Amino acid sequence: MSIREWVTKLRILDPEKVRVLSARMDTVDLEVNGTLYTNVKLKRPFPYTRPECLILYTNDDREIGILRDYRKLDKGSKELLERVLEIIYFMPKIKRIMSVNSRGGYYEWVVDTDKGVIKFKTWRSCARFLSNGKVIIKDINGNVYCVENIFRLNTKSQALLSIFI
Amino acid sequence: MLEQVRSQVSYLYITPQLGVGIGNSVVEVRAIDTDSDESDIIYYPSLDTLSRVLGNGFLKVLGDDEEVVALTKSDLTVDENGISYGEEHLVLTNKRILVIKDKNIVKEFKLKDVSSASLRDYLSTIILTLDIRGSAISVITLSRARKKQFEKIITLINDITFHKIPYNMLKKHLSNRVNSESEKAKSSKGILIKLFGFVKPLWYMLLITSMLSIATTTMNLLPPYLMKILIDEVLIPRSNLDKLLMIILGLLGVNLSLTILGVLRSYALLKLNQKLAFRLRARIYEHIQFLSLNFYDKFSRGAIISRIVDDVNRVLYFLTQGFSTMILDLAMIVFVGLIMFSMSPWLSYIALLPVPVSILGTAIYRKVMPKYYHRLWRKWSRVISTLSESLSAIILVKTLGKESNVIKRFKDNLNEFIDSNIEVFKNEQKFWPFIGLSFTFSNLIVWWLGGLQVLNGALTLGSLTAFVSYMWSFYRPINDLANHLRLVQQVIVAGERIFEVLSTKPESADKPGARDLTIVGGVELKNVWFTYDGIHYALKDVSFRIEPGEHVGIVGPSGSGKTTLTKLLLRLYEPQRGSVLIDGVDVRDIKSTSLKKQIAIVMQNPILFNTSIAENIAIGKEDASLEEIIAAAKAARAHDFIMKLPEAYDTEVGVYGGRLSGGERQRIAIAAALLKDPKVLILDEPTSSLDALTERDVTEAIGNLTKNRTTIIIAHRLSTLRNVDKIIVLDKGTVIEQGSHEQLIRTDGLYKRLFEAQFADFLDNRRRRVLLRG
Repeated sequence: MSIREWVTKLRILDPEKVRVLSARMDTVDLEVNGTLYTNVKLKRPFPYTRPECLILYTNDDREIGILRDYRKLDKGSKELLERVLEIIYFMPKIKRIMSVNSRGGYYEWVVDTDKGVIKFKTWRSCARFLSNGKVIIKDINGNVYCVENIFRLNTKSQALLSIFI
Repeated sequence: MLEQVRSQVSYLYITPQLGVGIGNSVVEVRAIDTDSDESDIIYYPSLDTLSRVLGNGFLKVLGDDEEVVALTKSDLTVDENGISYGEEHLVLTNKRILVIKDKNIVKEFKLKDVSSASLRDYLSTIILTLDIRGSAISVITLSRARKKQFEKIITLINDITFHKIPYNMLKKHLSNRVNSESEKAKSSKGILIKLFGFVKPLWYMLLITSMLSIATTTMNLLPPYLMKILIDEVLIPRSNLDKLLMIILGLLGVNLSLTILGVLRSYALLKLNQKLAFRLRARIYEHIQFLSLNFYDKFSRGAIISRIVDDVNRVLYFLTQGFSTMILDLAMIVFVGLIMFSMSPWLSYIALLPVPVSILGTAIYRKVMPKYYHRLWRKWSRVISTLSESLSAIILVKTLGKESNVIKRFKDNLNEFIDSNIEVFKNEQKFWPFIGLSFTFSNLIVWWLGGLQVLNGALTLGSLTAFVSYMWSFYRPINDLANHLRLVQQVIVAGERIFEVLSTKPESADKPGARDLTIVGGVELKNVWFTYDGIHYALKDVSFRIEPGEHVGIVGPSGSGKTTLTKLLLRLYEPQRGSVLIDGVDVRDIKSTSLKKQIAIVMQNPILFNTSIAENIAIGKEDASLEEIIAAAKAARAHDFIMKLPEAYDTEVGVYGGRLSGGERQRIAIAAALLKDPKVLILDEPTSSLDALTERDVTEAIGNLTKNRTTIIIAHRLSTLRNVDKIIVLDKGTVIEQGSHEQLIRTDGLYKRLFEAQFADFLDNRRRRVLLRG
């Protein structure tokens, strides 16, 4: 069986036919082709590289389908999804790196993010540079922080970040 | 011709390596192993050699079409008095094996009577044994020092008798080895010149660094001269304030210049070093990417990394700093020597006195001390290994209550290390104090005689002070030069190792006229012979045919040639004889890119790149859409476990895919193969290292992957082959059976035996389980 045949087996959802009705903390109720689904779980198959792509699952983990780009849904649906996505894919965006200090084996960061100034600790190998200038930083507890575009940071922040990538 | 040969011979005597010779001609080459007393093996020895070693009469015993293939000798002899040290020669001709003692043939065996040859290992002796008509005949006895040589002889005998390799093929192979060894010998001669070839495009940078080095050295010669003026014209006359100021300013100027020159030189050296490092490392890395798998069979991963890292570092240091420093040292010795002789020839002769002492002492030191240092390193490595072993086995130590034992062992090791350190120190004191004292004596004599000359008015105080300063500037480059000469030896070895890689020819490019081919899936092997080392044949006259879309299993014991077969299909190697055909076209006539695009392999232990899961799946199709990646993962039964990972398809898999389990890696590899959409698929033991549950998932994934494709499955577990159309059974590189499962079971051959053996295991396990349950 060729890959083309396998692709035709995927259930790609038409954004025109998906409508989000309500949102809870981590699930939504929605209608797909007129069928109502409640407590739908959202998962990003490519959380860093293609965050707009979502796979929807029923409460008992059956796949409803793939939304290539949720941003193409109507405005209300999009906002409801984003509210949930922001919670389940919480990832403060770093606007400025104020300091990074070595503290005997780990590093202590003080950064200014869209959620305010925060402090966290990382190991030496903590940053992942993605091709579009995006940098993902993971702290020692596994929390993830994101730099949307390294080239848009100020010079000092760039210099501090460059130590890790 | 003889001269040429002699030059080769003498070279090979210096660097121990394999002895080789050329076909029927009179050329012979010997090599010495450091652990054996004289020669290794002489392949195709000349008539002169045969007469000299075996006596003039020997030539008469050779038949008309008989030629001596190899000649070697043992170091032990057995007679009625028992075993003793002594020589016996073993002569292998294309017809016979002869043992010669004291120029007389004492044993003789016809090759046509010999089934195989082997070496029987005992405590410190080895006996070459021939299997003749089912009986083992002991031929010659040797010590372990000669084992390597006789292993080569055994290989040759078995190739002729057991593997039945045509003699002409064997001869051709030996000749090829001669040529490659000779090439190697020639290529190592101009290593330094070749290394400088890398610097050629950066000559201007080398020139700048050299100029800066010369300027620095010259500048360093000024302070003693200024001190001379200071003492003679300012301090002693106690006048001339202007001159004092000038000298102080001069010294300031010299030191400032030295600082600036130092910074510039360091920067220029760094630039040169980095550019050259880039050129060398990139060149080696680029080169090895296109080398055939033969190269990777020959060199371990560690050996390649060591060449790219350690050898390049050694070469870099020499090319950027070592060489120019050597030239500068030489210039400095001449220049400072001239200044010293112009100031006072007598004092200069005295200054030269400790030089031979230093050179001789250093030479003896280098000869004597390594053994003590080796011992020191060994003791230290024992400390480390005890430490690491006891930490790794801490649970065992604690459960057995052996803490005091490991503490004692560690302390003993530490004490041995301390003793060894003291031994090194004591031995060092036999050299350095004497060398140091020789310099001190010479210095004192210079001060004494120079002081007398100053008192007599023959020499000024300033001149004496300046002379002593120059004297120390004269000694430093002498010591440096000795160190750098040792460096040259290391660089030549490093250069040889680098060029050993660079001189390996890249994988053969496509043949002229090779074309793109849209593969349907027919596979055929026609009388394929293949050998990795040129001697042992992994495949011998293998022929079979697979129809498009057919699923074929290949089975056989370990070492039967199953995996080799897949490598030939992928054109990772090319057969020495016969051909591999895809849809009736020889793979050598298909463009390599076209072939590799349409054939995929899933290996037993797939290795993934340290990137995301998505990138690993898309490796065979870089422009894959996200739908294709997800569809491939779903078909490979990988999607569900991927989506359970927090970073899903963006998860980094770690080095070699180490963050995933074996079954997960296997399914990612299957997804990658599926995305590639190959026409011919090879599965090399795809489920052999998986547990039963994972195997079920992977088997389902394989089922999806193999639908409507020509599939070749290599398997140890015959259960993997239950759905194949045909099974090919390989043994010792030969196809011995082929057919469907039912046909092969009826044939009562190797397949049936393998099947029954596995089935018996299964039954045994079931019986055991029943017994355990009671």
